[in-house]
Amino acid sequence: MRGDGWGEGSPNRAFIMFRLLQGKVLFFTSLSLDYFHLKHSACAKQSLLLEYTVKILKLCGLTQVRWSRYGPEYQDPQIDKEYYRKPLAQLTEEETYERELRKTQVIKAAPATKTSSVFEDPVISKFTNMMMKGGNKILARSLMTQTLEAVKRKQFEKYHAASAEEQATVERNPYTIFHQALKNCEPVIGLVPILKGGHFYQVPVPLAERRRRFLAMKWMITECREKKPRRMLMPEKLSQELLEAFCNRGPVIKRKHDMHKMAEANRALAHYRWW
Amino acid sequence: MATPSLRGRLARLGNPRKPILKPNKPLILANHVGERRREKGEATCITEMSIMMACWKQNEFRDEACKKEIRDFFDCASRAEAARKMRSIQEDLGELGSLPPRKLNKLLQRFPNKPHLS
Repeated sequence: MRGDGWGEGSPNRAFIMFRLLQGKVLFFTSLSLDYFHLKHSACAKQSLLLEYTVKILKLCGLTQVRWSRYGPEYQDPQIDKEYYRKPLAQLTEEETYERELRKTQVIKAAPATKTSSVFEDPVISKFTNMMMKGGNKILARSLMTQTLEAVKRKQFEKYHAASAEEQATVERNPYTIFHQALKNCEPVIGLVPILKGGHFYQVPVPLAERRRRFLAMKWMITECREKKPRRMLMPEKLSQELLEAFCNRGPVIKRKHDMHKMAEANRALAHYRWW
Repeated sequence: MATPSLRGRLARLGNPRKPILKPNKPLILANHVGERRREKGEATCITEMSIMMACWKQNEFRDEACKKEIRDFFDCASRAEAARKMRSIQEDLGELGSLPPRKLNKLLQRFPNKPHLS
C-alpha cells in the first residue's frame, strides 16, 4: 500500500492531495522532509508527517483525501459471495488457513461502489469511473446504463430485421458486446519514449494487462468525447463505437492498428530497452 | 598480504618522512555504504516480437490471423516479468551472504559509528 510508511526507495517529498470542503480537488502541496531522515526513524517520520499535515490542514480548513488512513495490517474486504459459499469440506489447507486468519484480522470497509450483487461487473465499474467528471458518479452511471440500453435496442432491431439464419449470429447481450469490444480495442504492444543520445525514441515495449485494458477504455472514451457531432448525446455515440469495435471496425480499432504499425516500424529500436 | 596500516602515512609533526597518503576527507567510517552498481539489463522477448510483427506484415495487422504469435508474445512477457520480480525479491532478501545496501544503511543509522568517546 502506498501510504503505509517510508520505504527505502520512497522520495523525500510527499505530495498530499487536499480537498476543499465543497468537495473539489483544487491544489496539492509538497512537504520537504529532507531534514527528517537524519534524526527520525521510519514510523516516527510517518506520525510526525501526519502531525504536521494535520496542523497545516487545520490552518487552511482542508481535509486530506488521497492518502489512506488504513494501516498496513488492514486487509481488503472479500466481496465475492462464492468465496463464502464453498462448503468447508472442499477447502484446501491454504484456504482453511486463510479463512481462520481472516477471522482475527482487521478488514477495511468496502467502498460504496463495490457490491456483492450478481449485476456487479468490475469492467463496467472501471469504465464508469473513467467516464466520470468532477465526481459526478450518478451522471456517469446513468450514461453507462443508457449506453447499454442503446446497444441492446440496436441489436434487437437488427435481430428482428434479420432472417432466421442470421438471427443466430446476432449478439444481443450488451455486456458481452461491451467486453468483446474492449478486448478488441486492447493494443498488443505499446510505445515508450526512451532517452538515448539526447533524443527521445519511441521504443516498442510489451504492456501489462492492466495497461492494455486502461488504454482500450481511454481510447474509447476520448474518441467518443472528441469526435462527437454537436447534438449527439454520449450514450448514442458510445453505443455506436462499441458496436463498431465489436465488429473490428471503427476509429478506436484504427487507433490500435496505428499503434501496432508504429511499433512495427520502430522494431529496430527494441534493443534500447533494458528490461 | 596483511592489513595495510596507517602508521607514518599522513603528514604529521611527528612524522619525519614525506606523506604517503593525502586524504581530502577525514578518515572516519561513514554511517552508510555505497549502492551496488546496477547490472546493465537487456531487452527481453525480442524474437517473439519479431515473429509477431512478421505475421502482422503478412496479414495486414489483423489480430485474428496471428493469435498464436500474440499468445506466445504475451507468455514471454509474463515470464520475463515474473523473472524480474523474483530477481528483485532475491536482491531484497539476501546478497549471497551479506545484506543489501539499503538494509545495511538502515542498520547503520540505528547503530552509527562513534568517532567520539561519549
